[in-house]
Amino acid sequence: MISTAFLAGCKLDITELWRMDGHQSTLLTAGPVAAEQKQVFMVTVWVTLVIFILVGSTLAYAMIKFRARTAEEEHAEPPPQGHGNPLVELSLIAASVGALVIIAVPTLRAIWYTYDVPVEQKDNVYEVNATGYQWWFRFEYPTEQATVKGAQKMPLVAANELVVPAGRPVRVNLRTADVIHSFWIPKLAGKVDMIPNRANFLWLKADEPGYYWGQCAEYCGDSHAVMRFRVVALPQKEFYEWLDQQTKPAREVAAQTAANDQPKAQFASWKGKTPDEFRQNEYGFSSEQLNVSPLEAWRGQQFPDKNEDPALVAQGRKLFGAKTCIACHTVRGHEGAGVTGPDLTHVGARTTIAAGLLENNPEQLRRWLHNPAAVKPGNKMAKGFIDNNIKLTAEDEIALVAYLESLK
Amino acid sequence: MDALAKPALLTKEEKAAAKPRLLAHPTAKTGLMSWLTTVDHKRIGFLYGFFALCFFLVGGFEALLIRTQLMVPNNNVLTAQQYNTMFTMHGTTMIFLAIMPMSAAFFNFIMPLQIGARDVAFPRLNAFSLWTFVAGAIILNIGWFLPTATHGAPDGGWFGYAPLTSRNFIPKHSIDYWVMGLQLLGVASIAASLNFIVTIINLRAPGMTMMRLPVFTWMTLVTSFLIVLSFPAITIALVELMMDRQFGTNFFEVSNGGMPILWQHLFWVFGHPEVYILILPAMGVISEILPTFSRKPLFGYPIVVFSGACIGFLGFGVWSHHMFTTGMGTVATAAFAMATMAIAVPTGVKIFNWIGTIWGGHIQLRTPMMFALGFVWMFMIGGLSGVMHSAAPADAQQQDSYFVIAHFHYVLIGGSLFALLAGIHYWFPLMFGRKVSEFWGKLSFWVIFVGFNVTFFPMHFLGLNGMPRRTFTYDSNMGWNTANFVSTMGAYVLGIGVFIYFAVMVYTYLKGERVGGDVWDGRTLEWSLPNPVPEYNYRVIPTVHARDAWWYEKHHQEEIKKEQSEHAKAEEAHGGIHMPFQSIWPLVTSLGVLIGAIGISALDSNPAPGIHIKLATTLIGGAVMFLGVYFWSLEGNEGYHIHLDENGNVVEGEHDHH
Repeated sequence: MISTAFLAGCKLDITELWRMDGHQSTLLTAGPVAAEQKQVFMVTVWVTLVIFILVGSTLAYAMIKFRARTAEEEHAEPPPQGHGNPLVELSLIAASVGALVIIAVPTLRAIWYTYDVPVEQKDNVYEVNATGYQWWFRFEYPTEQATVKGAQKMPLVAANELVVPAGRPVRVNLRTADVIHSFWIPKLAGKVDMIPNRANFLWLKADEPGYYWGQCAEYCGDSHAVMRFRVVALPQKEFYEWLDQQTKPAREVAAQTAANDQPKAQFASWKGKTPDEFRQNEYGFSSEQLNVSPLEAWRGQQFPDKNEDPALVAQGRKLFGAKTCIACHTVRGHEGAGVTGPDLTHVGARTTIAAGLLENNPEQLRRWLHNPAAVKPGNKMAKGFIDNNIKLTAEDEIALVAYLESLK
Repeated sequence: MDALAKPALLTKEEKAAAKPRLLAHPTAKTGLMSWLTTVDHKRIGFLYGFFALCFFLVGGFEALLIRTQLMVPNNNVLTAQQYNTMFTMHGTTMIFLAIMPMSAAFFNFIMPLQIGARDVAFPRLNAFSLWTFVAGAIILNIGWFLPTATHGAPDGGWFGYAPLTSRNFIPKHSIDYWVMGLQLLGVASIAASLNFIVTIINLRAPGMTMMRLPVFTWMTLVTSFLIVLSFPAITIALVELMMDRQFGTNFFEVSNGGMPILWQHLFWVFGHPEVYILILPAMGVISEILPTFSRKPLFGYPIVVFSGACIGFLGFGVWSHHMFTTGMGTVATAAFAMATMAIAVPTGVKIFNWIGTIWGGHIQLRTPMMFALGFVWMFMIGGLSGVMHSAAPADAQQQDSYFVIAHFHYVLIGGSLFALLAGIHYWFPLMFGRKVSEFWGKLSFWVIFVGFNVTFFPMHFLGLNGMPRRTFTYDSNMGWNTANFVSTMGAYVLGIGVFIYFAVMVYTYLKGERVGGDVWDGRTLEWSLPNPVPEYNYRVIPTVHARDAWWYEKHHQEEIKKEQSEHAKAEEAHGGIHMPFQSIWPLVTSLGVLIGAIGISALDSNPAPGIHIKLATTLIGGAVMFLGVYFWSLEGNEGYHIHLDENGNVVEGEHDHH
């Protein structure tokens, strides 16, 4: 621990303290709701700063001016024993009330503005449902019908990455499947809680296409800290292309080669870290691209890997059933139809897994499959492994990784 | 006091000798039994302080573990579960087992002295409050010593939001200990507060009108009312949660129509007044120290008192500002935002008056004054960031982020704790007849002051940069590394400062410089007493002529001396100084409560193996409790008289039973 502290100490960037331009900055806003909230905040900052300077300098002056510095001063006749001055008191009270009115007016305006989509934009609103689970988010697009098989349809469901049209107001209906969670994308909108038996909602709008970090903001049990998500705002046209792709059933990979059940050759060629090489709690992103140009990284994630091995994918698909993954996960068009875990129909096209915690690449995915409890303590998948006595060999893990990554 | 000395209460006196041994009054004046059976408000106050400081160190250690885990991103010192337990217990410990009992220590020790009383109104109830507080503290912490898988220390947050705390999500008994622990602390706090209210209303010395009460006593009164009115809300919530967990009711059980939001309302109807329960005593302490070390009366006494009471009232109307993000709708949000802004006015008024107090005074920068001025600065920062939260739209970003953590630590450490540390320094000579060295006192102040600011000021930036609270880990790419590292370093400095502070206290207690009474040239009545304060406090109940009663006496000595000798004669004619008997029964009652509560906490809704032992424990605890109450009432509220000679020496001793 000491050595890691030392290493981090070397890399500390002191300007980070006041730049406040992180991925979840509340000051570097990207939409009107967060901007309005920031504006109210800035009013409070200026008003309280002025008060602090006025009151603070008076206090500092009094402390310096009236300080007894010598023994004689301390033992001098006591000062006049005055009990106060009503005029001073009343005018200070009036001044405080005045200062609060300056804060109250923009506060009231913003309470109404940030609450719901403005009337004039109501026609243009796009609606999605977000549901909190311990510890991930389910996103449902109630207006989009996704194909299961043939003519069988269901509303489009995704997980942990909410894709919305940029420049359009989005109303997010907030629900929870278990405990209280809170839905927070600092750059787009302040948080609103997901509370059982309550039909909460929030609205947001991304001014520009972009990739935004979000996180659960209400303590919800063991892994609350790693319950994260992303919001991807796309240009209108790209958004509809994405919907077209997402509403299709899961991708089929050259089924004819699936006869080969023993893809041993692939095992030797595993590139990247094996699960045991990861430290507990280790940072889950292998490349810098998601930090530097996240939207481009997200776009790149939409295309199948050219080097995928159909045999391995077929093997993984079989294991997905054999290892009872299907009991909790849905892969539309394939075997899975469970609903307690995230929908995996197009999991390969997401930039992250495990609720925004790990980069979606083979080594991180394998790390997750190998021991979910080490990544996200207390989660249901880890419990399911134990309850159903599921054991994955290294070959199983690699095949499952290949299958899941093929689900673009 | 007159009421206690009336012969009507003392009619059974001859029967004392004939009582069976079980009911013989304990008389030990030294040793363990004297502490276990004490009903002396000063000893009880000391014990409250002692336990509070022990738990303060425990809570501080938990905080250092939290900061160590967060020192660097993706750290591994604590597991997720250990971390969650730490922040749950850090909050619960600091609020209920450190700051509140520390305030209670001062209420007990100082308040009766300030109003010229010889004890609180119900001395044995006072002992019961103390021991029940200890019982609650034991239950809260018992999980540390039990298996983690099935018991463990509480990990549902100090706020215990349903439905996370229901059996479905946390089946372990950790939450049951938390529920019962808080329940007992509530009983202790309510009993103590009723005692203080009755004491302040009824036992004031002649001439001590309400508008002459020292401000600390006023704040004791307001705080006591807040406790009596707010704790029932959390008591109800905890009973409901206990019924859900132990007996399968459905108050918060969603699948059967329960309403988790109900918990939040009940919790914060308690929780927000609780904030003022933590800060008002501190404001009282500051309102004593600033005048003393400025050698001037408090500026605008009536307004300071009125604003304190006003904060108390308004404190009940702002609870939902803890719930701005729960989707209350526009009107409710607006109403609570406006009410919260309104409460800033009486709070600001206090700061103006404190500045008015030192203005034109002769400021003596002694250690208590350093902490008091530090309080004013830090509380001002915490108060202003509080105003920022009252703007509900801004709060939507700040709620549950590190910005909030920064805010309330400025109020609770920079506010409450600084004031309590100032109070310890201030009243230490009165309590122990010794004075802390100025050098070491000031050194500890500066280390604490710097450490505190380095720890918590960066958290404002962390919060604005989007770091949520109650998270055991964070990624290194979020821009939170520097602030967290700096904050952790600050926490270590703060820890060192607190260590210096307490090491110096212990040293002073054992070997410090001895001082006489009234070491600071005080203004209120407690400084008229010699130290150590005799167990009967006042040889003659003082007559109060002015607001700063002792200051007046010092400047009108002739008049006071004459008056006191007359009153002494009158009191002797009444039968001497009336003192309450010591009693073991409050302790026995609390012990019964403790045993029963442990039994209830261990109950399962399904008769599991061990149900008989658990039920038996509960019933035995109940039996012991009833036994304690029974003998408590049987021994009656009797006392004895002390007679003093001209020089204040006890003449007839303690055998004069009544």
